[in-house]
Amino acid sequence: MKVWLRQHVFALKGAIPRPGRGFGSFAFNVLVVAIALALPFAGLTVLENMRPVSAQLAVEPEISVFLSMDTPRARASALAPEIQRVLQASQTGGTIEFIPRENALSALKERSAIADAVTTLGNNPLPDSYVLKLAGFENAQDARRVDDIAVQIKALPGVEYVQVDSAWVQRLSALLNVLRMALLFLAATLGVVVVAVVFNTIRLQVMTQREEIEVSRLVGATDGFICRPFYYSGALLGLAAGALALGVVALGMRPLNAAIAEFARLYASEFQLLPLGWLLTTALLLLSSFLGLCGAMLSVRRHLGRAS
Amino acid sequence: MAMIEFHDVSKRYPGGSAALSEVSLSIASGELVFLAGPSGAGKSTLLKMIAAIERPSAGRVLVNGQEVSSIKQRGLPYLRRKLGLILQEQRLLMDRNVLANVMLPLVVAGIAGEDADKRARAALGKVGLLSKAASMPLSLSGGEQQRVAIARAIVHRPQVIIADEPTANLDRDSANLVLSTLKAFHGAGVTCVISTHDEYFLDRADRVIYLSQGRVTEAWRRNPVEEDVA
Repeated sequence: MKVWLRQHVFALKGAIPRPGRGFGSFAFNVLVVAIALALPFAGLTVLENMRPVSAQLAVEPEISVFLSMDTPRARASALAPEIQRVLQASQTGGTIEFIPRENALSALKERSAIADAVTTLGNNPLPDSYVLKLAGFENAQDARRVDDIAVQIKALPGVEYVQVDSAWVQRLSALLNVLRMALLFLAATLGVVVVAVVFNTIRLQVMTQREEIEVSRLVGATDGFICRPFYYSGALLGLAAGALALGVVALGMRPLNAAIAEFARLYASEFQLLPLGWLLTTALLLLSSFLGLCGAMLSVRRHLGRAS
Repeated sequence: MAMIEFHDVSKRYPGGSAALSEVSLSIASGELVFLAGPSGAGKSTLLKMIAAIERPSAGRVLVNGQEVSSIKQRGLPYLRRKLGLILQEQRLLMDRNVLANVMLPLVVAGIAGEDADKRARAALGKVGLLSKAASMPLSLSGGEQQRVAIARAIVHRPQVIIADEPTANLDRDSANLVLSTLKAFHGAGVTCVISTHDEYFLDRADRVIYLSQGRVTEAWRRNPVEEDVA
């Protein structure tokens, strides 16, 4: 066990580049691999930030029920139990909130950038409305039941217009699925690029260390002893490139967040891109390292026989 | 007891002539044997077969009772750790210092740190190059490089030392020093098989085996132990 550990430590030490011993080419290769990794890492960061938004909206769909302008307040208030009955009939829980037109106007003035324009209208153009927050939906597909509820509510007297918010949620969810697939494809393609870069790097290392490999074999080195430094070298390259790519993505998020903040403010949102969590960060670093290891293993198997 | 045995060993390279033809011989444990003969006689091929660097086309090679002619790739390192190889070209690693070169057989065997350092320095001391431990091989003379190669060959205390033309390209003084060093290890009980085409050194051997055109043509011994050349 001690010997095994000692040989691994020796291999690791041998794999760590030092100034004057392949550090320049190592740094350059890290840069190349990091560029390849940065794109899928950035895509994943965006998707991860959007996932909770879409997931939350998908499983907590909202229905906005706008009443006719001429519906009396008494009739408007009486609609609440009728809406509740519709929900119960479709076995859906949730909350019903009545928003009087005066309140809606105040909220619009407070939150919107068009407050001045609204004030100049004079009359309140907004109707009384209900906001239904539905519960008991497991996923975005399940949210399609909302459409049936909307049709039933639309048929109630005094209801002018029903807006189902789950529609755009479904569209967003579908869009995210497409993006996820595209990202997966991109990641797979760039993963192959990473493996190829490491493969070539290790091939060059095997060629330049041919004499050392041959001498080591002559004095009794096992294949494991000879291969290990190359494996560590590939894994280290992947790890360093992964860390660099994550750093680049984190740095790139600053200017991006500034632009997003401005855009989100228009929608009264405070949406910001956040860095990936430590679990996902660790997983990406391990994945980068694994890709490097794969490239090294393929290269060593392919070229070590030739070197001997 | 025989340390090295060749039984009807032949070696023919693809498209070439026979490097060895039906060679049978036995080398006893602790013996100092010189392989002599002109260039192309098969001396190097014979030595390489002991370390399984070359495989015979026919026949069997045994080292300490273990058949090495058909040894699997996986078993090779463990065979070579019992041997000390000194090749005509020293094959030192030029980007490592002398001490690191000598330590290599220990490192591959899993011995490292202070123990390896101590043993490597002791080996360098035995060849008279302890003061050059931190030097780079390129800064040494040919004779010194050959002695570093000897230190590397003996550092892991092998059962057999195989030296292929260790005095080639050396002046007479350096060659004498190298052979005296090898003779000292033989004195400590290590089996030594040394090839040379320079007959000047043959009087130092327990036994000399002459090879010509891949065949054993003649053998003589200074202090006969047993007659074993076929």
